[in-house]
Amino acid sequence: LLARVQVIRAPCELDLLLFLYRHPRALLTNQQLAALVGYDMDQVAKATDEFIIARLLQRSTNFKHESHMYLLELNGEYEEDLTAILIMASSRQGRVDILEVLNSGQSRTDRHVLQERQGPNASG
Amino acid sequence: MPQPDLIKTGIAGLDEILSGGIPRANVILVEGAIGCGKTTLGVEFVYQGASQFDEPGIIVVFEVSPDKLMRDAACFGWDLRKLEKKGRIKIVFTTRDVLRQELQQADSVLLEEAAKIGARRIFIDGVTRLVGSEDAHESRSGFHVLSEGLQRENLTALLAVEAAALKGNGTISLPEESIADTVIRLRMEDDQRAITRSIEIVKSRGHDFQLGRHSFKIIDGVGLQVYRRVQAPRKPQRDRAAAYDPTTRLTPGIPGLKEITNGGYFLGSTTVMAGISGVGKSVMGLQFIAEGAKCGERSLMLSLDEQVEQIDRNAGTIGIDLPKLKKSGLVRVEYEPPQEIQVDAHFHHIEELVGEFKPKRVLIDSLSTYGSALGTSGRGFRDFFHALVSLMKEHQVVAVYNHENPEMLGMASMMGEFAMSSLVDNILLMNWIELGDTFRLGLTVAKMRGNPVERVTHECEVINGKGMHVLPRILPVRRLPFSTYTGLISRSPERRALDEEADSSK
Repeated sequence: LLARVQVIRAPCELDLLLFLYRHPRALLTNQQLAALVGYDMDQVAKATDEFIIARLLQRSTNFKHESHMYLLELNGEYEEDLTAILIMASSRQGRVDILEVLNSGQSRTDRHVLQERQGPNASG
Repeated sequence: MPQPDLIKTGIAGLDEILSGGIPRANVILVEGAIGCGKTTLGVEFVYQGASQFDEPGIIVVFEVSPDKLMRDAACFGWDLRKLEKKGRIKIVFTTRDVLRQELQQADSVLLEEAAKIGARRIFIDGVTRLVGSEDAHESRSGFHVLSEGLQRENLTALLAVEAAALKGNGTISLPEESIADTVIRLRMEDDQRAITRSIEIVKSRGHDFQLGRHSFKIIDGVGLQVYRRVQAPRKPQRDRAAAYDPTTRLTPGIPGLKEITNGGYFLGSTTVMAGISGVGKSVMGLQFIAEGAKCGERSLMLSLDEQVEQIDRNAGTIGIDLPKLKKSGLVRVEYEPPQEIQVDAHFHHIEELVGEFKPKRVLIDSLSTYGSALGTSGRGFRDFFHALVSLMKEHQVVAVYNHENPEMLGMASMMGEFAMSSLVDNILLMNWIELGDTFRLGLTVAKMRGNPVERVTHECEVINGKGMHVLPRILPVRRLPFSTYTGLISRSPERRALDEEADSSK
């Protein structure tokens, strides 16, 4: 499922999406959103931008306002898969399992990047 | 005089005590302690607006997550998710800081969201710290800014504020109350060891409303149900009703009783049958009901003492097939356990029953059980009985109330500690009379408003399979002069012994 939907690649993205699933229309400042999701502002801002590009999320564009209206739109092509992931992640164990998958994927990616940097003959 | 543009809340019973609804664009403050039902009231206000009255709405929450709100609403049968998908409501999660800033700006994102769906209602849950609760002046001005922002959009706003001091019978005056157009106070009151919920309209600008603490319940699958307090002033037609048909009588259904009650009970009259337990009051009541069915009249029996199955069985022993009568649609029997009776809700139920079933006869078994449940010392019982009598008179119902008088032999008062006899039109006293080694049954018509009364005690008997009947009085009875008695002044006369009588005649 995670591979199919492609928008959840890091724990922050999962937790942000979970928060937005529970609060589909939220009027918050960036700082408040980060605090409520439990990650630093940069990570949340990055994840938010990714979701907006993926058309999963709308953000009000009135830049005079410190706060933004975040509107989750789970009606795109991955609606069913995303909903299934979010339902699974709604339980403690489900979330832990998904985070484990994400973290292992992350470490595989890190290893892959490291290997690329060190060249084809590098070992370990 | 121009009529105010009232919006209906759609909450069962609430619009009645608001005399039709709340003026549009009023700012409504709902105050109460934790758990008293503020959120449920607010959510229902928006839900009913969107689903019943074509008035989309916004719900603003701070602490509760919208998915929990939707889950809880589903318990009442309110599908908020569906309404949100249809663009009829929006649930916005925000913080108090953001909302305060938002409402101070003319181009508020929140109000823009409201405008997108043409919102007419808004509910903000938990405005307490939003308006600054510490300092009264700050609190008032904060609330002022909030209500101005809402008024710009012509929204009818319901704002829930937590007031811990309103726990139980405590009281409070919040600084926001002076700015709000309507103030609704919710409480959870201690009632013996039970808790009851009450709702009070403290003020409401631009229209009339019913003062006082009314009751309400939060019912699964329904939502809020508000019950007008029984003491609330009656509608004018009830006062007029007593004079509708002052001459028609209904027969009591007990052989021999018709003759000693001048043909029966007047329409709209109140009759109390008083006597100790086991004297035959319920038997007489059942015969009264069966007589109604025989005459093609609808009869309603409200029992607090016995369950329906027991009543059916008892009726069978005096030859009344109650299940058959019920099946015919002419008789309805309702049982409600008397413990923890909530008087407003109970009266509302009776009002509905009488309104829907339209009985000609009502039997209430028994008045004394109401007394035990509501207490006879305060106003609770008296107000309830007043309301009951008025309701029956309005509907021209002949109402018979069984009343257990605790005295086994003789009676020192007609209704014991229930000082209600002035409300009652007819009083029938039923007594055991000890003659020889037997208790025999005596019946005295002690009071009959608008009728001559003989105040003669008649003997009655209950025959298995047949019920009660009044035995014929054997006349002429030799009237003896007072001189043949002793104890006249103490009102306990006894016949003199024959030899004493002979001596005194010398």
